[in-house]
Amino acid sequence: MKFGIFYEISVPRPWDPESERTVYERALEQVRLADELGFDQVWAVEHHFLEEYSHCSSPEIFLTACAVQTQRIRVGHGIVVCVPQINHPVRIAERAATLDIISGGRFEMGTGRSATWTELGAFCANPDDTKKTWDEIVRCLPKMWTQERFSHDGAAFRMPPRAILPKPYQKPHPPMWVAITSPGTEIDGADRGLGWLGLTFGGLEEQEKRIAEYRRRIKVCEPVGEVVNEQVNTVNFLYCHEDDATGVATGRRLQGTFGYMAAQLLSAREAYPTPSYPALGLLPQLRPDADSPGDSVRVPDGLCIGSPERIIEAIKKWESVGADRVNFLLNAMEVVPQEEVLASLRLFAKEVMPKFAKSEKAEPATALAGT
Amino acid sequence: MPLSGTLDVAPRLADAPRLDNYDTEAWEIADVELLSLTFEIDDAQMTSALPPALHPTIPPVAYFSVAAYPESPIGPFLLAQVRIGCRASALPRGFLLRAYSDSPAACDALGRRWGYQCRPADVRLRRYHDRVVGTVAVDAQEVLRASLVDPQPISGGSIFHVSTMTLARADDDDGRGVLVQVDPPYVFQRAERGMPEVTTFERSAWNAEGIEPVWPVTATFVRCDTGFPRIRYVLDARQPARTGTRKLR
Repeated sequence: MKFGIFYEISVPRPWDPESERTVYERALEQVRLADELGFDQVWAVEHHFLEEYSHCSSPEIFLTACAVQTQRIRVGHGIVVCVPQINHPVRIAERAATLDIISGGRFEMGTGRSATWTELGAFCANPDDTKKTWDEIVRCLPKMWTQERFSHDGAAFRMPPRAILPKPYQKPHPPMWVAITSPGTEIDGADRGLGWLGLTFGGLEEQEKRIAEYRRRIKVCEPVGEVVNEQVNTVNFLYCHEDDATGVATGRRLQGTFGYMAAQLLSAREAYPTPSYPALGLLPQLRPDADSPGDSVRVPDGLCIGSPERIIEAIKKWESVGADRVNFLLNAMEVVPQEEVLASLRLFAKEVMPKFAKSEKAEPATALAGT
Repeated sequence: MPLSGTLDVAPRLADAPRLDNYDTEAWEIADVELLSLTFEIDDAQMTSALPPALHPTIPPVAYFSVAAYPESPIGPFLLAQVRIGCRASALPRGFLLRAYSDSPAACDALGRRWGYQCRPADVRLRRYHDRVVGTVAVDAQEVLRASLVDPQPISGGSIFHVSTMTLARADDDDGRGVLVQVDPPYVFQRAERGMPEVTTFERSAWNAEGIEPVWPVTATFVRCDTGFPRIRYVLDARQPARTGTRKLR
């Protein structure tokens, strides 16, 4: 089991000239500490226009700062939006390769397609097409990284032969992942040899079934790249405190705030009827039992909040359903003071991480395709 | 925390219907035809169109709809609505600005039972091969013309209709007004999608001063079984839904 941290970069109103800089500086301080403490990965989302919820539109720049301020922690695009109106595929490949070089081969490539009308509508991207363009782009990225020259004539984009430079530092190329939110995307990931980058919270029972099917399908995959990445990376909240009640109370505040803010966004499915988005994004996972505005937010199973003992039990559950990695959201809207976030990280590293160190040897990993 | 509505509900309450009670029975109506358009609206009215109980969506949107109910306890009727997209706490909803119906009996019943601020008008819904058109005329003056252009069949499973919040008066609201959650089920028989087009929108007729559609999102036309449900939740219009929601059943 490996552990990582995960950033949306939420910035609460009222905004002043220091608001965003403060949140970014705090995030970087957390990343530096996580690196020292032995966390394995830091991931950053790509979101546009999502007021307060996420001010992380250029994660590659944040991740570059993370890379140059740390020694070991891997840096992950979680995810880059593979929609040509938002990111030209060549620019995705170029930025990823550059970050891989700057980080000394510590880059992880998460792919996805956005789930909000807020973003897709603003870039005039058709929600009907995003699955198709994602598929086309993830097939092209490894070729851009490994072929001396690349050309393409597809539906999402076309281009004459060019040398796409620089090439990634990792050979044959960085590990690739797909964001798993909509039901069925885990099958897409397995069939293409992509790692599972879970972006929904909780739901252990359902996740177990989906992970089992993912494991079964990826054995016979036709990988898009030269590397099969059979790893399951889940996301969770983290607030670790010596006093269980304090940890749970603060963690619930963190979880509730995140869910509340996520729900304010206009999902693609809500705004634009399309079979391409069968789920409402994060909303159903966050409020599975609620149909009244006054219902309390249920705490999903397996949430990593509370005392070290409680969190150890939660992670064991994730381990038992087949997760290889857990990434933690440490804060939302700055509801947890920075010193408490740092203390939570330190306590987790001291009391929880050692309990899972031995299982690393048995962990599935990336493998060269065809081996 | 997210932005909240700033609408002063007091002036609206003067014109709002009074609920008979919270125990109205459900109306289940088959073969309803429903035209619905979604537009992004100018963010200048992002909060001022909503009561303090509700949050605006990001981006702010308005829903224009015209529906034909072929049967009901008060006979067939058409109903046109303009709603503002919002969140009640974390849940997607549409806040009703005003409604019109071709049936005075429907206006009366919908107001007393579910809090619809509904006025009589000439409401029409017409299906052509290249478009579906909903119109509303008050005293022979057109106040809404909303169209779905170039209908294409899609699966009804792709459709998501947000539930409605109406503003009403109730005997136990202490003069503060209640938001009534109207959340009928939908069973879709047929669905089409196309581009939305609004060519007439008299804002003063819809309690929609300042509401400016700025960007088309989508339009749908469906045939479905739906109706009006028993009231399950009411909200205090002037405090956040998270704390001001009352569960009735």
